Amino acid sequence: MTIDAVYILQLTLNGLALGLLYALIAVGLSLIFGVMEIINFAHGELLMLGAYAMTFALPVVGLLYWPALAAAILLVMLAGLLVYEILLARLRPDEFERSILITLGLSIILIHTVQYFFTATPRIVDTQYGFDGVEIGNIRITLTRLIGAAAALVAFAGLYSTLRFTQFGRAMRAIAQNREAALMVGIRPRVVARNAMVLAAGLCGLGGAALAPIQLVTPYMGQFLIFKAFALVTIGGLGNIPGAVVAAVVLGLLESVIGGFFASAWQEGSVFVVMIVALLLRPEGLFKRGGMRVG
Amino acid sequence: MNSPVLELISVTAGYGDNPIVRDFSTRLRAGTITTLIGGNGAGKSTLLRAIYGTNRFFSGQIVFKDEPVERLPPWERLKRGIGFVPQGRCNFPAMSVGENLKMGCYTLPAAKHDAAIGRVTDLFPLLRERWRTEAGNLSGGQQQILEMAMVLLLEPSLLLLDEPSLGLSPRMQGDVFATVQRIAATGVTVLVVEQNVRGALLISDLALVMEQGRKFMEGPAAEVRTDPRIRQAYLGGNIEQTAA
Repeated sequence: MTIDAVYILQLTLNGLALGLLYALIAVGLSLIFGVMEIINFAHGELLMLGAYAMTFALPVVGLLYWPALAAAILLVMLAGLLVYEILLARLRPDEFERSILITLGLSIILIHTVQYFFTATPRIVDTQYGFDGVEIGNIRITLTRLIGAAAALVAFAGLYSTLRFTQFGRAMRAIAQNREAALMVGIRPRVVARNAMVLAAGLCGLGGAALAPIQLVTPYMGQFLIFKAFALVTIGGLGNIPGAVVAAVVLGLLESVIGGFFASAWQEGSVFVVMIVALLLRPEGLFKRGGMRVG
Repeated sequence: MNSPVLELISVTAGYGDNPIVRDFSTRLRAGTITTLIGGNGAGKSTLLRAIYGTNRFFSGQIVFKDEPVERLPPWERLKRGIGFVPQGRCNFPAMSVGENLKMGCYTLPAAKHDAAIGRVTDLFPLLRERWRTEAGNLSGGQQQILEMAMVLLLEPSLLLLDEPSLGLSPRMQGDVFATVQRIAATGVTVLVVEQNVRGALLISDLALVMEQGRKFMEGPAAEVRTDPRIRQAYLGGNIEQTAA
């Protein structure tokens, strides 16, 4: 078999774009785990809501990409706020099992509610950019993929700056590192947890809205992604945000390359094979665990 | 006579459905150091947590500067001037010393951060020297000083210290006690739970002794440390000869 360098480069660019979108989900999951010490099983459904919001917002704004993207992000942030205030705020720090049941139940309710109202028929989303793309020589990448990846990069830069340089973000890292010390300096855990949930939902909304023009939108799309996101968060070292981003980008590349040469079944399974091998070799994950490290 | 900074009236507090501290009353005056003595499980740490509001309060009253505070959350008590440094390492280990101090300013307006940090780094120049070091990489004694500094940023009137010298070398314990004396000399009232009873009593004005969640004895530290029962139970000999 001859390997074409252009083809490999094309797969690499597609993989990077996909990996950055995976990272949006994984980082949100990591943020929630760091601050609230729970795994949000409904996180994938927030992404699905973002994709559906994009689907319905686009025709309203004449297929204009950016206003629809902004509307989808705001809607999912609002959904995140409601999920926190109605369900998660009632959890005590030691109720991990209860958090699993609540978020898993919410996930199933959201999937079936969307399926009831909008059916399970996959939706194809069109934007003002259609199938326009950027061509460099023989390499082509669609604008929606490129914009999605760029938006993800901007979101990560914003998140990094927030966590590193603002009291709003430092408070999230503080709670993740030492809850008692956070109380000592007057941080209100409930307020910080709510902020983290809304921020993570916003990242999910961006991920879902950016994915909508790239892949089919279905009520189950979050389910496929959330298990990969769990794997990424674990491989990246639980609570380590740059670790989750690196793991997501590597997974995106891996999936793209494997998908380019082998059947799609191998593509789907590869992430979990990598996770098992990585965790057998390094049980704590590839990067330092916990404390919501940002560097 | 000055009114007390803190007055505990029949305080009962604990965890879940279990009261640990029962019917505890006392008064602390401004600028004094009081040591809380008692065996393991006597309820010393539980009492400090009840004063700061991080455990379950069952009954009684906690009056701080003439205001009942027992129903307020910890951050409201902190705003009113109650600072608490819990037992064990209580900082943000993956943040630098500078970031830890900025977190200590969390409840202050941004305009006051620099002045507050300048004040505590003047008091503890070591923190300026180690500004970029991750807190988790400081020695135990340095971490303890960082934690006290984080609370002192807010200029509390009452400082609650839970085992500040735990796990430190004798020399570092001496440094911590000297720091506590310097803090009290600025007018801050200090209530300290300390495993080094000898050292703590020597720097204290008053001592409170707890047994099984209740107050067993209260008095000037000089009198308590010569009490035969206390020497037998906690000091194991002549305190003056074995002082830290």
